[in-house]
Amino acid sequence: MAGGTIWKGAVHFGETMIPVKLHAAVKEERIQFNLLHRVDLVKLHQQMICAYEKKPVPAESQIKGFEVEEGKFIIIDPEELEQATPASSRVIEVHEFVKLDRIDPIFIERTYNLEPDAVAAGFSEFAEVLQEMEVAGICTWTMRKRSYLGALQGTGKVLRLNTLRHADEVVAVGALGLKEIPLSEREIKIGRDLITQLTEPFQPQKFVNDHEQKLRQLIEKKARGEKVAVLRPKVKKPTAPEELLHVLEASLKKAA
Amino acid sequence: MAPQGIWSGTISFSLVAIPVQLVRAVAPGRISFRMLHNTDFSPLVRRMFCPRQGVQVPPEEIVRGFEIAPDRFLPITDEELESLSPERSRTIEISQFIDMAEVDPLYYDHPYYLVPLKGGEKSYRLLAEAMRQTNRAGLARLVLAEREHLVAIRSTEGALSLVTLHYNEELLPAQAIAPGAAKGSAEMKARIKRSIKRMIAEFEPEKYEDSRRTKLLDILKRKAQEQAPVEPPPIAAEEGEGPPDLVAALETIMTDLRKGR
Repeated sequence: MAGGTIWKGAVHFGETMIPVKLHAAVKEERIQFNLLHRVDLVKLHQQMICAYEKKPVPAESQIKGFEVEEGKFIIIDPEELEQATPASSRVIEVHEFVKLDRIDPIFIERTYNLEPDAVAAGFSEFAEVLQEMEVAGICTWTMRKRSYLGALQGTGKVLRLNTLRHADEVVAVGALGLKEIPLSEREIKIGRDLITQLTEPFQPQKFVNDHEQKLRQLIEKKARGEKVAVLRPKVKKPTAPEELLHVLEASLKKAA
Repeated sequence: MAPQGIWSGTISFSLVAIPVQLVRAVAPGRISFRMLHNTDFSPLVRRMFCPRQGVQVPPEEIVRGFEIAPDRFLPITDEELESLSPERSRTIEISQFIDMAEVDPLYYDHPYYLVPLKGGEKSYRLLAEAMRQTNRAGLARLVLAEREHLVAIRSTEGALSLVTLHYNEELLPAQAIAPGAAKGSAEMKARIKRSIKRMIAEFEPEKYEDSRRTKLLDILKRKAQEQAPVEPPPIAAEEGEGPPDLVAALETIMTDLRKGR
């Protein structure tokens, strides 16, 4: 069963205007935790403390500042923040279409399933054309006072809207400081063979979140007052660089 | 500045074990503001407060808890959590390799990078290069704090990136809201195709700006020109504050808890 309607808008480009409803595409039901005081197991509250007076400061005495230099701030007030808030509109404006495989998945943040909000406005035609041409529609829209960048994608008759991250929100690989390490041809060859041996089709239905079940069992056990065994996590011994080839060859033998 | 480590352990595939650290791959682009005290512009810091004892609580006195009855909480320690899957809490074991083209991006949850720890650089490079040449990704499980994730490890420009995946049961099908089987209008399809062909471009994410951020920056620049920034009084070194990295770690835990991550 699809999630409820989150928002309504219309996809626009050229002469095409397609009214749509947004639905969540993912539901996450996870056990929620709180932060407690260790000694009395009381739920903790968050307070804003003045670093100078060391006392809690109520909400009405709090203001927002942008740090321009260390220790120096420009104050911004709620009216100014409001000025920056994008005007609300119900249009998902498509600016261009790009090849699907050019969008690195790291840019995709969240996915919405779209439902047509009108008949004969071109919803299924649009989805089919997107899939046939293997393109995504890059668009912008405003939802609940925030502006979004997204990509419209078609799969069969279904239309999906992915929100995209902005370029400066993605950490570049160069920032990781990785070094070039030479590898021998043989090491690469055995590595490739091993990967090929261990390749299987992607079958997501095989994977079940049994950790959540184990967590519930742990909570129930402790709530009954039963003692819980604490097992030390297993740590694997790292493969030393000089043993790598040997370990790869042993792995390949094992996998065959 | 090297990204902060979130988790450290070992990636393994067959008999090969690579010591690594998990680091963030994305950082929110929001302009961040400090909360200040309106009397003297002193920056405010978040602290946890125990309502029963009426005191601030330092990070070492904080424990994670689950509400078993209204206002009754059960503490769960890190060691107990790790005991749920002791073989998985410190090891990402690649159980198979896959062709990423088989993974619908709908499964993608959150991206990270892996960086090698001392001694693991060569094995790390080997895995990245072999996966790049064979165009495969590794499928594994990762336990992060109180959650276990299905993850895909990919080779990206010489590095290993990791993306957590949603479980099948977390995906909501679109079938219920898809339009019916009625045949689409060929004329409409042709018209849409023509529009699209006129609008084909390269995907260049740097082109797209967050308009709210741009407007905020303009407002701030204008204010900076009109008036001098304010300065709070100097803060003396704080006692019993706890080391800054513990406090930062606490902030990260709180943010992640609020986001349900």
